[in-house]
Amino acid sequence: MDALKLTTRRVRLSPLNICRSCNRKLKQSPAKSYATTSQPDFYDVVCIGGGPAGLSLLAALKANPITANLRVALVEAQDLGKLRSWQLSADRFSNRCSSLTPPSADFLDKIGAWSHIQRDRVQPYHEMQVWDGVSDARIEFDRTPGSATNGRTIAYMIENLNITSGLLKRIDELSGITTFGGARVENITLGTETEELDFREWPIVHLDGGKQLAARLLVGADGANSPVRTFAGIDSKGWDYGRHGVVATLELEGNGWAGDDMKIAYQRFLPTGPIAMLPLPGNRSTLVWSTTPQHAASLKNLSAKDFIALVNAAFRLSSVDLQFMHTMSSGYEGELAWRLQHTRFNAQAVPQNVVGVQEGTVASFPLRMRHADTYIGERVALVGDAAHTVHPLAGQGLNQGQGDVESLAKTIDYAVSHGQDIGARMSLESYTSERYVANHIMLGVVDKLHKLYSIESGPLILLRSWGLSAVNAMRPLKGFFMQQAAGNGTKLF
Amino acid sequence: METHAGRHLRTVRRVAQKGCLIKPSKRISRRFTSIHAGAVADNHSSSTRHRLTPVTPASPFSRIPTLRSFTSTTNFHVAKTSGLSSADPAFTTVSPDEVAHFNALASSWWDPQGPSRILHLMNPLRHDFIRQCRASVPGASSGSYPSTGLRYLDIGCGGGIFAESAARLASTSFVTAIDPSPEVLNVAKAHARRDPALACKLRYQNTSIEALPQPANPQQDGYDIVSVFEVVEHVANPATFLDRVAQFVRPGGWLVLSTIARSWTSWLTTNVIAEDLLRIVPRGTHDWNKYINEDELRRHFLQSKAGWAEPRVMGVIYIPGFGWKEVSGSETIGNYFFAVRRLPE
Repeated sequence: MDALKLTTRRVRLSPLNICRSCNRKLKQSPAKSYATTSQPDFYDVVCIGGGPAGLSLLAALKANPITANLRVALVEAQDLGKLRSWQLSADRFSNRCSSLTPPSADFLDKIGAWSHIQRDRVQPYHEMQVWDGVSDARIEFDRTPGSATNGRTIAYMIENLNITSGLLKRIDELSGITTFGGARVENITLGTETEELDFREWPIVHLDGGKQLAARLLVGADGANSPVRTFAGIDSKGWDYGRHGVVATLELEGNGWAGDDMKIAYQRFLPTGPIAMLPLPGNRSTLVWSTTPQHAASLKNLSAKDFIALVNAAFRLSSVDLQFMHTMSSGYEGELAWRLQHTRFNAQAVPQNVVGVQEGTVASFPLRMRHADTYIGERVALVGDAAHTVHPLAGQGLNQGQGDVESLAKTIDYAVSHGQDIGARMSLESYTSERYVANHIMLGVVDKLHKLYSIESGPLILLRSWGLSAVNAMRPLKGFFMQQAAGNGTKLF
Repeated sequence: METHAGRHLRTVRRVAQKGCLIKPSKRISRRFTSIHAGAVADNHSSSTRHRLTPVTPASPFSRIPTLRSFTSTTNFHVAKTSGLSSADPAFTTVSPDEVAHFNALASSWWDPQGPSRILHLMNPLRHDFIRQCRASVPGASSGSYPSTGLRYLDIGCGGGIFAESAARLASTSFVTAIDPSPEVLNVAKAHARRDPALACKLRYQNTSIEALPQPANPQQDGYDIVSVFEVVEHVANPATFLDRVAQFVRPGGWLVLSTIARSWTSWLTTNVIAEDLLRIVPRGTHDWNKYINEDELRRHFLQSKAGWAEPRVMGVIYIPGFGWKEVSGSETIGNYFFAVRRLPE
């Protein structure tokens, strides 16, 4: 319905980047010769995918007076009406959350979307506790007096749906964006040559129902299996980690060791993968547990009580004990209670006890590392997961996408203000050169971290433990890591 | 891989067969000579010898221009057309050998990795410069002088890199773009068909500036911006050419050009390094003798002509792998933009 309603509105708008008489000509001449085939509508930007990256890009373009006159369209497979009216009660949280760095939040603010986000559902955190599950070597990114990050927000925990529904509200407010919600892309082809115009390099997006959109610039914000990337013939390389990320919304026994004003993010590197607990408002937290597909499958089938016991165990027991517990089929709670008596740990250095798990929030997804060979083609640009997929252990996936969008919007702004064709590969070069290396380094570092901590024995454990302890002892170095985590570190590129 | 020189020669032959050119130009054969020196060693006409001399300037500090100062040597570069006076209707400042050279480059004009890449990279700076020029005059955007609905005349538009970009700007109402090379202009027209936004705002004409009808009432049909990018170093008689070009500027409008200063550095960078060593610019593109210095342009407009003011200059340097950068003061040694405003009536 969405598409229908907005389409009728669009027809009345005169196309902004094509003068009226030309457009009349465009519409008339082919109609005579191909009376049966529907003719494409022309857009400056067609964005496929209404996730955080795609929506941010459209909002950024429309919020900027230089690019506001571009004709833009959004194609999204999901029903946008549902997203628009997304609402959860204050004690329930979606299981797909992201850690939004302050630069990403600033960008959302700059494009006018931050004020549309439900702020009472956003939780800033100020401290990180990261430790080695085998050696217990620990690094604390904390509020040490005098440290560079004293009292500052490291990042914001936010539900992805909160971001996307806020962005959609912003897009509705900006108006002038044609949206095709619940629309399936049937095919993407190249245009043809007519007497007056040559569209052989223009991508034509065919939607189900016969609608065709010709794109000066086709943006692939369409996720890891990006059809736009396939259309552009851009290869994506990488590997599967053989791990799944298990997510859940958890209820803790309290609002955190330091209360509401000083929230802490926890991450423990286990040999099967890192387990992270990140604070949400009140006594809620979100879990991201990377583990083997077998463990993930059994975790999803556990009763709430057993699931809670295993999560508590994963932050406290030795990795050998935990491994044993994974092999059990019942009685997790008692086993945990017994084993905890024989395990020494500082209760305040691990998250508070989990006491509940929100129904229906335990889910899992496979973890992958992928990087497209390039982010641009002739009249094509890729952003977010379509360009790169990263292991979630550093919470950088969404932020990388926001960085892409900010860079692409800047590139388009420059192209428009200098009369460049925004779809020409040449105009897009600065986008790929600005983002590719930065993303590649992030992907590489996260990948190596994952591999380093997958090792259960041998000299590397000593080395990595020494590494964490040494970093912990050196405040300036810690400050540097902290700044990188918060996304405001020294710009390497 | 085909060499540039080989390609030139073939195109020259092709053009000659079509009757556009009678014989391969001296300049191209000279360029060719520099590659196969032995093969055409006997080709020593007086003009060839004369043209070869400046390739080894006497001293890096000597300002050679005194002898052939731009304003004092208006007929210095009148090559094949020197038998005609500028009043003659058949007179043209177009050099046939230059036309042949750019005809040869036509097919690769829009290849972003091709020989014209460096021009593509320079294009945004042209807009920055024009914007700066227009903003530098008080009240430029107020009533008397428009900030939207601007009319452009792009002379020597080539494949249309600047003309297309000017036509796309929201502040532009219309762009007329002319070039004497039919092959290059065909490429420009074919490329413009790829963008529906251009159809109403951009018109190409295969003509020299001399053949383009002069505006009867410059206030009404003059152009707000007349651009002559990377052209004056290719025309046969720059002073006559610029005098003609100046008549198309609407009072209050700007004549904007870019070219290369005649200096030791520019000889080394544009001729030796860019063309011969790095090959980032097609061989035979530049003739160092035709380079014009900024002070010569300034003198020409401010002293030899009336009604012109507000000269502006911006020196730019190309750094391989990095792009074009504005470097203040570099207008005396290499590439630079120059603009001058026709005083409002």
